[in-house]
Amino acid sequence: MRSLRAWLLRIRATLSRSAPDDAHEELTSHLQLHIDDHVRAGLTPDAARRQALLALGGMAATTDAYHDRRGLPPLESGLRDARHAMRILRKNPAFALSAIVILGLGIGANSAMFSIFNAVVLRPLPFAEPARIMRVWQVPPPQLFPGRRIFAVSPANYLDWRAQTDVFDHTAIYGFRRVSLTWQVDPEALLAAAVSSDFFNVLRVTPLAGRTLGPGDDEPGHAHVVMLGERLWRTHFGSDPGIVGQPITLNDEPFTVVGIIPQRQALPDNAQLWIPLVWTPQDRAVRSNHTYLVIARLTPGVEVQRAQVELTTISQRLAQHYPADDQGWGAVVLPLQEDLVGAVRPMLVLLLGVVGLVALIACANLANLLLARTLGRAKEIAVRTALGATRGRILQQLLTESLLLGVGAALVGLLIGQLALTGLVHSIAQYLPRAAEISVDSHVLAFTFALAVATALLAGAAPAWRLTRTNPNDALKQGLGRTGSPSGEHWVRRAFVVTEVAFALMLLVGAGLLLRTLSHLRAVDPGFDPRNLLTMTVELPASRYARPAQQVRFFDEALRRIRTIPGVESAAGIDSLPLDRLDGGSNLPVAIDGRPVRPLSEQPVVAARVITPGYLRTVQMKLVTGRDVAVSDVLDRPAVALVSQSMARQLWPNDSPMGKRLRIGLISNVPREVVGIVNDVKLASLDVHDVEATVYLPLAQVPTPFLSLVVRATDNPPERLTPAVIQSIRGLDPGQPVRNVLTMDDVIGGSLERQRFAMRLVTTFAGLALALAAVGIYSVLSYTVSQRVREIGIRLALGASTRDVLQLVMLDGLKPTFLGMGIGLLGAWALGGALNRFLFGVRAHDLMTLSAVSLIALAVSVIATFTPALRATRVEPSLALRSE
Amino acid sequence: MSTKTDVWQGTLALMILKTLEALGPNHGYGIARRIEQTSGNRLLVNYGTLYPALLKLEQEGYIASEWGVSDNNRRAKFYRLTRAGRKQVERATHEWEETTAILARFLAPDEAS
Repeated sequence: MRSLRAWLLRIRATLSRSAPDDAHEELTSHLQLHIDDHVRAGLTPDAARRQALLALGGMAATTDAYHDRRGLPPLESGLRDARHAMRILRKNPAFALSAIVILGLGIGANSAMFSIFNAVVLRPLPFAEPARIMRVWQVPPPQLFPGRRIFAVSPANYLDWRAQTDVFDHTAIYGFRRVSLTWQVDPEALLAAAVSSDFFNVLRVTPLAGRTLGPGDDEPGHAHVVMLGERLWRTHFGSDPGIVGQPITLNDEPFTVVGIIPQRQALPDNAQLWIPLVWTPQDRAVRSNHTYLVIARLTPGVEVQRAQVELTTISQRLAQHYPADDQGWGAVVLPLQEDLVGAVRPMLVLLLGVVGLVALIACANLANLLLARTLGRAKEIAVRTALGATRGRILQQLLTESLLLGVGAALVGLLIGQLALTGLVHSIAQYLPRAAEISVDSHVLAFTFALAVATALLAGAAPAWRLTRTNPNDALKQGLGRTGSPSGEHWVRRAFVVTEVAFALMLLVGAGLLLRTLSHLRAVDPGFDPRNLLTMTVELPASRYARPAQQVRFFDEALRRIRTIPGVESAAGIDSLPLDRLDGGSNLPVAIDGRPVRPLSEQPVVAARVITPGYLRTVQMKLVTGRDVAVSDVLDRPAVALVSQSMARQLWPNDSPMGKRLRIGLISNVPREVVGIVNDVKLASLDVHDVEATVYLPLAQVPTPFLSLVVRATDNPPERLTPAVIQSIRGLDPGQPVRNVLTMDDVIGGSLERQRFAMRLVTTFAGLALALAAVGIYSVLSYTVSQRVREIGIRLALGASTRDVLQLVMLDGLKPTFLGMGIGLLGAWALGGALNRFLFGVRAHDLMTLSAVSLIALAVSVIATFTPALRATRVEPSLALRSE
Repeated sequence: MSTKTDVWQGTLALMILKTLEALGPNHGYGIARRIEQTSGNRLLVNYGTLYPALLKLEQEGYIASEWGVSDNNRRAKFYRLTRAGRKQVERATHEWEETTAILARFLAPDEAS
C-alpha cells in the first residue's frame, strides 16, 4: 500500500514537469548549516565549505540522486522519447499520416472482425451463470433422417424428461406462434415465442421494464399476458415504458403487456413477442410430433456429461415404454452457447485468419515506409552515437516512434472498424446469431491496441536494427545519401514487397473461390422457375377461421381474385415455400398400403407440402406422369397425392408408384392414391446434393390456416403487383395481415445469405490487401527510382530510349511481384483445403480462379509500377549528372 | 575515519524515523548529525544518500515536511513523523528485535542449543 502511494507520487512528479522542486534549496540550506558548524569549530569559511561539500558527496550528484528518487527515470526517458518522436512525426506530416492510415486500414479491418468474433463466439451469453444454460435436442433415428443429428422435441417426451431427472434446476420448452398485432393501423403478422412458465427461470432475463413471464401465467384464463421485445417496443410503442400494464390486441384478443425484454437477452432472437405457452391435455400427450425447443439450467454441481448420461437413460426407457413413437430416438445436451454459435464458428475463425493476413500486409507496408526513411535518418543517428548514445537508447528512441504510429493507427483503426460495423450489423443480424450484442468492449479495445502496437513495433524493428548498425564514421562522411543504400537493405525492401503480394494473392484466391461458389449456387436449378414470381404469406387467425372449410374457402376466393388482376399470369399456394430460410416445412412419416405395417417411428420420413391446384403450373414444375391435383379433389372425394421422382425411386425402386396408396402419419390415417409424379425440387438449400423425397397433397383435403401465395407475373418486375394483390386480400377481409412479401429470387437469395456474407467480407479484405500491396510496390519502386536517378541519367545520356528506361524500371519493380505471386499461388494451393467446406461446385485448386486472380494481381502491379517508371523516363540527364 | 562503517541500506530509514521519534521535528542536517552521535560516531552518514531516503519516506507517507527556521536562524526544511510513521517505527523496531534475537542465537556460544 505504502509503496503504491510512493509510486503514484513519483509518476505524478514525472508527468507534471511544473511540480515544485525545492531540492536545490534544501541542499543549500543543508550546506549552510554544516558550514556554520565547521566555522564554529574553527575552520576558515573556505575550508568549511570544502569539507561540507565533500561530506555531501557533491552538489550535482546529490541533486541527481534526489531527482531520480523524486520521479521515475525510465518513465522520464520514455516521455522524452515520445516528445522527440512527436516532434519528428510532426515535421513529416505526410509520412506520419500515410503510415497511420495504411496501418489503420489493416487494424480497422481486424478490429471490426474481432468485434464480431468477440461478441458472437468469445463473450459468454448475456445471462446469469450462462455456462449452466443448456439446450436439449432429440436425436432422430439415423435411418429415418440420414445426416440429421438433432431434432426438435415433442411435448410428451419433454414432460417425461422434466419429471424424471433432477440434473436440471429449471427446464423450459418453447415454440413459435404467428400472431397478428392490431396497433394503430393495419394488422401486422409478428413472430411470437410461446414459452413455458419456467422459461425465464432458465434464462434469468432482467427486463427493461415490468416483469418476466412466470408460473401462473400459463394457466388458461390468465394467459393473456405478453412481453414485448425491445426492438418491437422501440419501433411500435415509441420506447414508452408506460406500455407496461396496458392492453394490446393480439389475434383479436386483448393481452396485457407485463414487461419488456432487452434485445441482447432476446432468445430466440427472431421473436418479437413472448407469450405463455398454454397446452391442453391433448397437446401434452403428443409424443411423435417434434416441433418444440427445450432449454434447461443445470443444477449446481452437475456436469454436462452427467446430464447427458441421464437424458440418454431416460430416452432409452421412453423408447421401451412407447416403441411406436420413441423407438430409436435419443437426446443430446449441449451448452446453449455452443448450440447458438457452433455453426458459425468455423466461418468466423476463417475470416479472422483472412483478416490477419491484411494486418500482416499493412505491417510490411509500414516497414517499407520506415525503411525508406532510414537513409535520411542515418546522419542524425550517427551524430547521436558520436555524442555517446548507446545502441539500446537509440533503439528505444526509434521504437518509440513506431509505438506512436501504432497508437495512432489503433485510434484510426477503431474508428474505421466501428464505422464499418455499424453499416454491417443491420444486414448481418439475419444470419449471424447474437449480432445484437456486437459492441466495443474492453476486449475489443485491448485487441485493437495490442495488435496495432505489435504490428507497429514489428514494422519498426527491422529499420531500427539497421539504423543502429550504421557505422557513424561512414554515415557522417557521406553526403545526403545520394550514393545509394546498402545492398542488404535493398534486399529487405524487396522481401517486404514479395510478402505483401504473396498474402494479397492468397486472399484474392479465397475471394475468387467464394465468388465462384456463389455463382455456382445461383446457377443451380432449384427444380422450378423462380423468375417473375411474387410470394407472400397469409395466416388466418383461429379466432375468425376456426373451421377448415372456412380456411379453404378463404384461400380459394383470394386466389380467384388475384388471378383476375391484370398482369397476373397465374396464382397458387403452398404451405411452405421451397428454399425459405425461416420456414423449414414439415417432414412426416409415410406408410404404404400392401406392405408390412411398421410403427410410426420406423417409417420413412418424407417432406410433405400442401399445394393448391395450379401450383405446379405457376412455379413451372414438371409433371412427369399422371395428373396435377385438381379443383375436384375435395374433402369428400377420394384422397390423392403427388410424389417427387426421388420419392418414387426411394419407395418404389422396382415398380411405379402410380395408383398406389399411401398414408401420411400425423395428418390422418386415410389412404391417399398417388395420381402423379413430379420433378425434384430443392427445398432446404441449393447446396445439397441429395434432393429431399417429397409428397404433395391438395389443400382442400389437408386444410391449413397458413399458406404462402405464389403469383406469376406476365413480365418483370413482379413487385409491381404487390399493392393490387394485397388489395384483393384486404377486400376479402380487411383485418387480415399479409407478411413476407418477397420475390422468389429474394427468397432464394435469402437462403444464400451466409455464403454471401463470407464472400463479401473476404472480397473486401482481398481488395484492401491488393490495394495495400499496390501501395507497397509503388513506394518501393519510387524510392528505387529516386536512388537510381544518376544511373538513369547516364543511360539516357548514352542514348537509351524512353522505352528502354520504362522497360528497365518496370521490370525492376515487377520482379519481386512475380516472385510474390508465385509464392502466393503455392500458398493458396497448400492452404486451399481449409476452404473446401465453404465451397460449392468449385475445388480449392480451381485453375480458372487461380489464373483469373493472378491476372488481376498482375494488372494492378503493372499499374503500380507504371507511374514511377514514367517518372524515371522524365529524368533530365544533365541535371541528374550534375546533382552530385 | 577508516574505522567508521557506512550505514547499511535499509537501516537508514529506521534510524531516521527513530531519530524523529526521539527528537521531534528536525531538518536533514540535524537528523544526520544525530544519527552519527547516537552511533557514538561509529557510523558515517553519507549526507548525499540521506535526502533521497527522506524523500522516499515522505512519498510513503511516514514523514511530512515543511519549511521553518533553525536554532541558529537559518531557513531549513523540517521533517516530522506522521501517524503512519509512528506505527511504522513500532513495526520496524519489533522486526529488528526479532531479527537480532534470532541472529544472536546463531552467533552465541553453543550452550543455547
